[in-house]
Amino acid sequence: MKPRWTGLLLLIAVIVVLALLPMLVNNFWLRIATGALMWAGLACSWNILGGYAGYINFGHSAFFGLGAYVTALLMGDKLAWPFFATLPAGIVVTALFAIIIGAPTLRLRGAYFAIATWAFAEVLIQFASVMDFTGGIGGIGLPPFLDERFFYFAMFGAAALTYLITWALFERSRFGLKVKALRDHEPAAEAMGINTSLVKLQTFVLSAVTASVFGAIFAYWVTFINPNSVFGGDITDQMVVMVLLGGLGSLWGPALGGVALFVVNRIIWMYWGDTAFYIAILGAAIVLVVLFLPNGIAGLFSRRGAKSGAVLDKAVGNLAGDGQGGPS
Amino acid sequence: MVPALDLFLQTLLNGLLIGGVIGTFTIGFQLAFGVLHVIDFAVGGWVVLGGYLGYYMAAGLGVDGFLAIPVAFVLFGAIGYLIGPILYNVRNSRTARPELMALALTFGLFTLLRGGMLTAWGFNTHSVPTALSGESLAVGPVTVPLIRVAAAVFAIAIAGGLFLFLYRTRYGLAIRATAENRQNAALMGVNIRRLSANVYGLYAGITAMAGVLMGAIFSVNPEVGLRYTLFAFFVAVLAGLGSVGGALVAALLLGVIEAFVATYVGSSYSLLAIFATLFLVLLVSPRGILRHGL
Repeated sequence: MKPRWTGLLLLIAVIVVLALLPMLVNNFWLRIATGALMWAGLACSWNILGGYAGYINFGHSAFFGLGAYVTALLMGDKLAWPFFATLPAGIVVTALFAIIIGAPTLRLRGAYFAIATWAFAEVLIQFASVMDFTGGIGGIGLPPFLDERFFYFAMFGAAALTYLITWALFERSRFGLKVKALRDHEPAAEAMGINTSLVKLQTFVLSAVTASVFGAIFAYWVTFINPNSVFGGDITDQMVVMVLLGGLGSLWGPALGGVALFVVNRIIWMYWGDTAFYIAILGAAIVLVVLFLPNGIAGLFSRRGAKSGAVLDKAVGNLAGDGQGGPS
Repeated sequence: MVPALDLFLQTLLNGLLIGGVIGTFTIGFQLAFGVLHVIDFAVGGWVVLGGYLGYYMAAGLGVDGFLAIPVAFVLFGAIGYLIGPILYNVRNSRTARPELMALALTFGLFTLLRGGMLTAWGFNTHSVPTALSGESLAVGPVTVPLIRVAAAVFAIAIAGGLFLFLYRTRYGLAIRATAENRQNAALMGVNIRRLSANVYGLYAGITAMAGVLMGAIFSVNPEVGLRYTLFAFFVAVLAGLGSVGGALVAALLLGVIEAFVATYVGSSYSLLAIFATLFLVLLVSPRGILRHGL
């Protein structure tokens, strides 16, 4: 029981500190904290599909950007919707796109899905760059709203909700067991009567929708977006690194990885500004984590989880004969 | 009507010539997938590195860009030979999801290459100068830049050599056997680990050579790598992952699509058209429309 108690106390302490933070620090640090919460939430959003269902999404920025663009377009001069009314619209649009992309490609091997999502994000960059209504490469502005506390609490709320949903759905419900079952051995999961295509699609839509909410808040926060700032591949790169660093498929790993990498990002930014060197660091981080820390930071704390995965993998390998399977 | 027909022929020829060069590295990409079961995101990175090698050899040493081709093969072949076993180890490791990890590794490698090149060489665009740059050949009403013809001839030679190697030598047989069934190949005495290293080296070398040619035809900067990775994916999806024969056909098709969109619609739409086709194929026939075995 002891570890459970310390974990719960730690969680309460973190929530209390986060809730009081706007009273403790100035706007500069509050902005950084807002960004850290956003990235922790985005990492969790990526992890919903990548970690729990085992499908790598290399175009997750597409959904972040869709949320941002829907909010920006609806809040523009012509329509002038209130911010909170744009959130449901962004969620619906994102969910539709996720279904259109996910339905055909999630049936296939993970590699095709990775290609399709990556291509989708690039299509959106191209599309938003050549179209008039999105403002082209120049992008679009939103009505400015300069209340750092509002955005801090918006990100805090969105991140808390994302983690709560993830915890409830994937750690405490039958749905989570289904998702993990199909990740670990899809034919076996199907034989148990799980509709794997449907479960995968539901997971993908959830993952996409959470990212779009962060995109919407982000757009309103920075008051100006362009195709590269919200669809750019670097956004996906960061999410992938954060989750791998924190621990794929663990609940708290993405939060740890997200905050750790965001702090590194800000330190580099403070000293060197926007630098291409950061892209190289991201790449090196992915390579190093894959090679030396495949279970991430979270894996360091729970050796048990890492080992059971390996045992399972071996058993599955034996079952399937040639564990790799052909390109068939 | 006649000028319209000329333009049509010109576009078709341009597309086919470029498609041939794309074909060289997509064949290697498919081969690497067949043997290693790894989708290599880094493919565009090797193309760009080849282009930069050509540029720096021409600018720094004052030699012709074509001389960079064999150097690119040896240099990047050696680098690929060293990276191959790492990929193999990750792909066959006992972590929970090796396929995902290998994919993430090549993605990380690609990001590292892109970031490193941007840091070292900046965003500027360079072109590889060669003896044939600026020359062109008139065939009837159609004029073709000589460099494109030379590149296509070279591509055909490489592709032909690769097919001969795959289908007429014992080692090629071992590669095809491994791609078809790794376990049976291993039982027949193929050293899969060493073969993986060799295949990845061969592929990286060929890709870098194609990169020199691409650098001479178009130009090179660190951001175009993404475009070539996309090309390789497009071909892989169209031909079916791992299909070597279909790769060449799909690459030619890609070159033609790109040329026609660039000529008749506008070059800013060419990527959009490629993505749209890629998506359509994934929706209609996700396992490729040119599917052949290896």
